[in-house]
Amino acid sequence: MKRETPSMHNRVNRRLFSAGLGAGLVAGTAPFNIVRAQGAALKIAVILPRSGYLAPAGQSCHRGALIAPKVLSDYGYKVELIHIDCESNADVARTQAERAINDGAQAVVGAFDSASTLAIAQVCEQRKIPFVVNIGASPQLTEQGYKFLVRNFPTGGMLVTNGLKLIKDELAATKLDAKTAVFLHANDNFGTAQRAAMDKIFPAAGMPFQLLESIAYDPKAQDLSVEVTKVRALNPDLLIVVTRAADAIKMVRDMVRQRFEPKGIISPGSPGLYDEEFYQALGPLADYAMYNLPWANPKSQMTQALEAAFKPANPGFRFPVECFNVGFTFEALLVAATAFKKAGTTDGTELMKAVRATDIAEHVMIGPAIKFDDKGQNVGIPSAAVQNLHRTPTVTLPADVATATPTLPIPGWQKRT
Amino acid sequence: MSDMWAAIPPRGRIVLAMLLALLLVAPAVLDRYLMSVLILIFYFAFVGQAWNIMMGYAGQLSLGHALYAGLGGYVAALLWFYFGIGPWIGVFAGVAVAAAFGAVIGWLGFRFGIQGVYFALLTIAFAEFTRIAFDNMAFTGGPSGLFLLYDEHRAGEWWNLRGGPMLFYYLGLILAAGGALLTAWLSRSRLGYQWLAVREDQEAALSLGVGAFRAKMIAVLISASMTAIGGVFLAFYNNSLFPSQAFEIGRSIEIILAPVIGGLGTIFGPIIGAFILTPLGETLIALTAKFGLDLPGTKAVFYGLTLMIIITLRPDGVWPWLKRLLGLELKP
Repeated sequence: MKRETPSMHNRVNRRLFSAGLGAGLVAGTAPFNIVRAQGAALKIAVILPRSGYLAPAGQSCHRGALIAPKVLSDYGYKVELIHIDCESNADVARTQAERAINDGAQAVVGAFDSASTLAIAQVCEQRKIPFVVNIGASPQLTEQGYKFLVRNFPTGGMLVTNGLKLIKDELAATKLDAKTAVFLHANDNFGTAQRAAMDKIFPAAGMPFQLLESIAYDPKAQDLSVEVTKVRALNPDLLIVVTRAADAIKMVRDMVRQRFEPKGIISPGSPGLYDEEFYQALGPLADYAMYNLPWANPKSQMTQALEAAFKPANPGFRFPVECFNVGFTFEALLVAATAFKKAGTTDGTELMKAVRATDIAEHVMIGPAIKFDDKGQNVGIPSAAVQNLHRTPTVTLPADVATATPTLPIPGWQKRT
Repeated sequence: MSDMWAAIPPRGRIVLAMLLALLLVAPAVLDRYLMSVLILIFYFAFVGQAWNIMMGYAGQLSLGHALYAGLGGYVAALLWFYFGIGPWIGVFAGVAVAAAFGAVIGWLGFRFGIQGVYFALLTIAFAEFTRIAFDNMAFTGGPSGLFLLYDEHRAGEWWNLRGGPMLFYYLGLILAAGGALLTAWLSRSRLGYQWLAVREDQEAALSLGVGAFRAKMIAVLISASMTAIGGVFLAFYNNSLFPSQAFEIGRSIEIILAPVIGGLGTIFGPIIGAFILTPLGETLIALTAKFGLDLPGTKAVFYGLTLMIIITLRPDGVWPWLKRLLGLELKP
């Protein structure tokens, strides 16, 4: 049962050492644990749900982590990564965080879902190891008073607020006069949370259209014909959706069958409309769907460097489709690496001070410099309006980083090639 | 209690005493990682023991036991979150709510003769609709989860289960040992023999005057209550609860694996099962990483294969074989 680990060796060694030299000398050995930055690499545990029900997203993040060391090295940062699969299970996330720190991890990045993130956060807090959250929208993560946690990802509320604001911008940019909308959403965890945020934020958002109704659906349903019939009967100008990939495909197919053609299909911040299977299953019918999410800045040099590294390493995947998960995972590693370079030490407390003081102007995702507030939240992450054009996610707003202009109203189903 | 101790053969008493002594002093030499693994072992041994009472002794298959753990955890956590009521009091409320749910399930199942897989489906259905209900209740945090505030200033408050791994290690050990003792006591009681009679042949038991309905209801109530206590333990250990994780069928399967692998209807089966399964998972993670088998799911494949091999070689569980091998069989 008892398995020797590096930390156990350390423990025994310290004990023997202290027996020989006395308590005073032992206190003086503490600095030996601190590796000076010159020439050394920061050892980071990257804990992601690469199997289990969150595997697709976890693997996408993992692809970002795999290419990160080379790109970071090109920018003068040295990192060594320990890749850990937490199996979409908080219990595993916790034990593996303990193991990784025993194995010498000096910082932790992860963990995509809130349950695993919180389990890791407790370990990092108790062991004084910086923890940079790559993806995790639950607002409470940065409301728990953790001193060794920062999050470079928007909260659920930020996603919806930014998403709704961008819908206004999209309508203004295309001069589309939309008067009505229906909100159609999956009734899973994410969809229900987005609905709650919509109910709270929409009335005060000053949107130029009326929300006729919110309709929930079971994402595991065989088809969405009933829900689409309901929407069609209301005949809204805009269809606002929160979907996953499989149900987004069913939704579009039923819209085509029922010849329901709204002026726009827009997600205020959800996956589904930009997954590879959405493009593969629907072909040209996948085009013109819009989603307002934090996105990789196509004009950033660092994004271009990341894409250049991504292509040969992942020939079966497209960077524009993966850039959300890849970009945020890379940025979390960038935060840790930058702090290490600045702090010049792997001592957790000192490293965390540097993480808290992060100010990174050049990075991958659209937005201002990466900075954290007192709670460890980056509050400056904006969303971008992204539209499927030629089966590729394309940034259409904000204008300064866009590579195309938004298209609204969207062409009818029969008018696509 | 002395009867139970006397029933254990001398060699068994020595092994048991040594094991307990080892576990008591283990935190002095173990690192945090191994302690976190042992905490999970204790948890699964305890909730596995709870499920063992219902299935192993009373013969009632529940595949929705996560329901009770989730309810226990949520009730105690909500009392702490909203009213500052500590888990030592909250656990009673959690147990009461879980037992009430158990009573409804048991009454529906046993009153209307729902048995076997149909009873199992009933337990799954209750767990599922409770998950959906918690997903849609704002005061429980909904799908975004319920977070218990982490406050390092309260780290020493063991009476509020605010502490580090050491606290949860010893608490887990007490639960695992206490669960085994309770099961041992119940199995040798009149009720325990009634459970066995009902499990083996309910019609025959009824003809002998055994109150099958009463015996089965008590089994469900005890099992639900114990599982709820386990749920409170886990909720305060993790400091968070999510409906999708607390009530899902995957969690129920995790609960039943240890007694199935260790040996159904035995006192030490759930403990042996937990001591096999949790370290097996951790060892496979370490081995797949060491040998560069970095493909996601590799561990799950090896884990599944190992379980299949164990079940094929020891269909009655590991403990009955192990106790014969070590000469640790209980005296009648």
